Amino acid sequence: MLLLALLLIPVATAATSYFARRREEMERFNLAGFGLVSLIAVVLAGQVLAHGTVSLANGFFYADALSALVILLTALVALVCATYSIGYLRADQQSGELGDEGKEQLAQLRMYYSLTPLFVFSMMFMAVANNLGVMWAAIEAMTLVSVFLVTFYGKVTSLEAAWKYAIIGGVGLSMALFGTLVTYYAGHRLAGSDALAGLNWSVLAQHAGLLDKTSMRLAFVLILMGYGTKAGLAPMHTWKPDAYSEAPVPSAAILSTAMLNCALYGLVRFYILTSRSLGAEYPSHLLLLFGLLSMGISVPFILAQKNLRRLLAYSSIEHSGVMVTALGLGGALGTLGLMLHMTFHTIAKSLVFLCAGNVQQHFKTDLFSEIRGSVIRVMPLTGVVFLMAMLAIIGMPPFSLFQSEFLIVRAALDSGHFLTGVLFVLFGTGVFAGALLHVGGMILGPRGDTPVALRRPWRDGSLLALAAALVVIGFWVPAPLLELIREAAKVVSG
Amino acid sequence: MIMRPFLDMQFGERIIILMAALVLVLQIAVVAQRWIVTHIRVFAIQSFLLSMIAVTIAWFNHAPHIYIAAALTLVVKVILVPIFLERLVVRMDIREEIKPIINVPLSVVISGGLTLLGYVVAESFYTPDEQGLGHNELAVAISLFLIGFFTMINRRKALTQVLALLSLENGLFLAAISLTYGMPLIVELGILFDVLVAAMVLGILIYRIRESFESMDVSRLRRLRG
Amino acid sequence: MTESIMTRIVESAAQFFLLLALAPLITGAIRTLKARLQTRRGPGIFQPYRDLFKLFRKGMVIPETASWIFAATPWIVFFSTILAGLMIPMVAADAPLGLFGDALAVIYLLGLGRFFLALSGLDTGSSFGGLGSSREMTISALAEPAMMLAIFTVAIGAGSTGLTQIAGAAIGQTWRFLAPAQMFAFAALALVLIAETGRIPVDNPATHLELTMIHEAMILEYSGPYLALVEWAASIKQLVLMTLLINCFWPIGLQPTWFGFGALIGIGWLIAKLLLLSCAIVLLETVNAKMRLFRVPELLAVAFTLGSLALVSTFLF
Repeated sequence: MLLLALLLIPVATAATSYFARRREEMERFNLAGFGLVSLIAVVLAGQVLAHGTVSLANGFFYADALSALVILLTALVALVCATYSIGYLRADQQSGELGDEGKEQLAQLRMYYSLTPLFVFSMMFMAVANNLGVMWAAIEAMTLVSVFLVTFYGKVTSLEAAWKYAIIGGVGLSMALFGTLVTYYAGHRLAGSDALAGLNWSVLAQHAGLLDKTSMRLAFVLILMGYGTKAGLAPMHTWKPDAYSEAPVPSAAILSTAMLNCALYGLVRFYILTSRSLGAEYPSHLLLLFGLLSMGISVPFILAQKNLRRLLAYSSIEHSGVMVTALGLGGALGTLGLMLHMTFHTIAKSLVFLCAGNVQQHFKTDLFSEIRGSVIRVMPLTGVVFLMAMLAIIGMPPFSLFQSEFLIVRAALDSGHFLTGVLFVLFGTGVFAGALLHVGGMILGPRGDTPVALRRPWRDGSLLALAAALVVIGFWVPAPLLELIREAAKVVSG
Repeated sequence: MIMRPFLDMQFGERIIILMAALVLVLQIAVVAQRWIVTHIRVFAIQSFLLSMIAVTIAWFNHAPHIYIAAALTLVVKVILVPIFLERLVVRMDIREEIKPIINVPLSVVISGGLTLLGYVVAESFYTPDEQGLGHNELAVAISLFLIGFFTMINRRKALTQVLALLSLENGLFLAAISLTYGMPLIVELGILFDVLVAAMVLGILIYRIRESFESMDVSRLRRLRG
Repeated sequence: MTESIMTRIVESAAQFFLLLALAPLITGAIRTLKARLQTRRGPGIFQPYRDLFKLFRKGMVIPETASWIFAATPWIVFFSTILAGLMIPMVAADAPLGLFGDALAVIYLLGLGRFFLALSGLDTGSSFGGLGSSREMTISALAEPAMMLAIFTVAIGAGSTGLTQIAGAAIGQTWRFLAPAQMFAFAALALVLIAETGRIPVDNPATHLELTMIHEAMILEYSGPYLALVEWAASIKQLVLMTLLINCFWPIGLQPTWFGFGALIGIGWLIAKLLLLSCAIVLLETVNAKMRLFRVPELLAVAFTLGSLALVSTFLF
């Protein structure tokens, strides 16, 4: 039913886009497909809120509030990016970025429009899979598909970025596989005759008290390092700046929001098992360590950054750190902060990337030193939205991210993690200063001689829609969404 | 009679230990040698031994689903991936030797040390009352994993890094079999499929890197910094 | 008491003659097998006997600068190798001089011979001799730890370093060979065997090129009876190491004593096993090329790692 449709529609979209013959057909299929998926995601969220969980095929597919939230966010980001990419890729076609006229360009477009739905498919699969091993296979598939998205432009630097991404991701996921294996071992006495149940998250979560403790310790470390690599936690983060700056902007937006959410989703599922089996203290120490480390490492790289999209990548690393810290703090406040941050971050980060895409396409460069001409005068709409989104992403009130970060700091201080709270604020300030300095300077600087940009309906439209959402959410979160977020937080905190 | 050894549990354990030891020796030999094609072939032999270990375990422990996992491993890791990689080597006309970053005798000794580390880690999994295979195979599996990691860091050429990644997966396969008689079939299917696709993806990437950079030397991939 | 001393003396004499007689045969067999594998006819199995006979009747040329070491070495090498050979179980599980020396004694007797050979190479005053000596000592320095580790592994398994006990322990259990510790030790010893006996891929016993010779360089200046003694000693050393390898791991056919009909069966088994090992060596030699000198440490590093793994796995497995 719903879950199957959620999985089949992206596959169908990919197939039809692959066999389409004209660019407009591909664009339409993608838009329609993602629109449908978003609709289904909303309906699914409603069902989950009503019934608690939705499952299919004897528990093979399983969606609770956490899954529903991740699915909803993924679907919305995919839809917005699909809209944006229409304008983005058309501009690339015109400027000759995609190769020569005719077949080569069409082949490139075909690749993009069929790989992106597949990418989304693997993310949906991960969110609805109950089996931890299948979850792993889904995230590996995610990596393999997105490698080709990173090499889209075929430049020498793209290849380098893709190689780093593939290898570091591959190694990280091997560790995650090992961790999954050890988890299976920890729980295999529970399985009895049903081998499949041994890796079923819902079964394991129910009987978490019976899991073997030493194995779970090892498993969690491996999982943290494995899924943490995909999320971009330091010190496994080195692939992020390269991949985000080389991939086409809508893909980078999906990578930095939806894939990040999926990696964290995997981490959270294992965290639930570990905390129920070993108690929350052991995983929380590790999570706080990696989270604060990620936040800390991003500060100098943002302060000294010269490249726009790499700065956004480091900001993404910082936000992974924030979310992992929130998970580490745990409790009602910490998990609520995590879920809120995940939601708000998705909206804000995708918006930031799309604006950056506009800037990069117009100025043909990513370097701050070369983007002279004050964005706000050359592209007024983009400039304003970019500034707003940037302020949001660095945690400025009244934007929503401020609220979620404030909640996390409160969680830290309430539970006695004073050092965590202090470091959190310190690192956040550092990122604030650096990002504002560079991006603000870029947007509001003195006027240069770049010509004013023309109207771009697709891109500007998607930008506006997202910006509106961002502003609104800062002040009012619709009740069902808030309910969903709360339920998701409850799944984690038990 | 003749069939007697084939039913005797102890014989089975001996054979499994023998094959696991061979896998370990092969892995250490791989660290020491210098030709990519040999590397690929040794990987194929290792995977073959692993699938044979799986078959032996399936035979002696009456666990039929492992047969399928073994057959899949045979097809994917012994036939498909090595053929693909060898064709890639031929297409790219690779003639240089592998030059590791740490010299060979030291790498071999480090691999020996990592094997010991693998044994130590495997000890913590060993419970005397468990019906399983004992910690020998798990130790070999973890050693394979660690040596694969080390080889990945120790190599400059992209193709050898891919082979190191694949031997990591081999170690995980052996660990899965020795700890829990393999994971649920659908998981094994998913993992093997991913391994195959990963090998192909990485192969394609390597080919393009070689074309752009005129070399597979990943230490030349230094344009993106900061 | 006297009886056992008498038996000992008889056994020693028997093994002494067996060593002397069998060693050139094995060398000849290896050469012939190798030639046949290379589709040549080869010099014939008994050629080494003819060579020795010829050399004993020839005159000698001794370098002017040579000291007493040059003259003493062939005798020292010959007798130390024979002494080592008397301490290993060849036909009977009970080695004739087994009470006087164990595995360590064997290794160090062979080492004594090698030491004097190296000295005599330097003693000749020619550059080839010094070259050979330094290469030989490098290789043996690397091979020795591996050999010791492998021997210790086997000794731990048997509870003693006495070769009689080691062979005895191996006789009892059929599947013992399949234990990883034994396998690793066997592999390490096999690699060391190749290094110590100077076979391809470590050293080419048939070459006289400066670039490639090691053992031949050390004995280049010897001629006549001295050369015969040195070459005979080299064949006996090869026989001793091969027998050591075989009988520590695969002691099928070892008889309880030298006496009686069983001795002939024992000799037959020994020759059969030696021929099998020779085939393996020949195959290895034909398939591989000689390694460059500075690649040899890599091979020996693998042997060392295998040896240490063998030793550790006796505790872990």
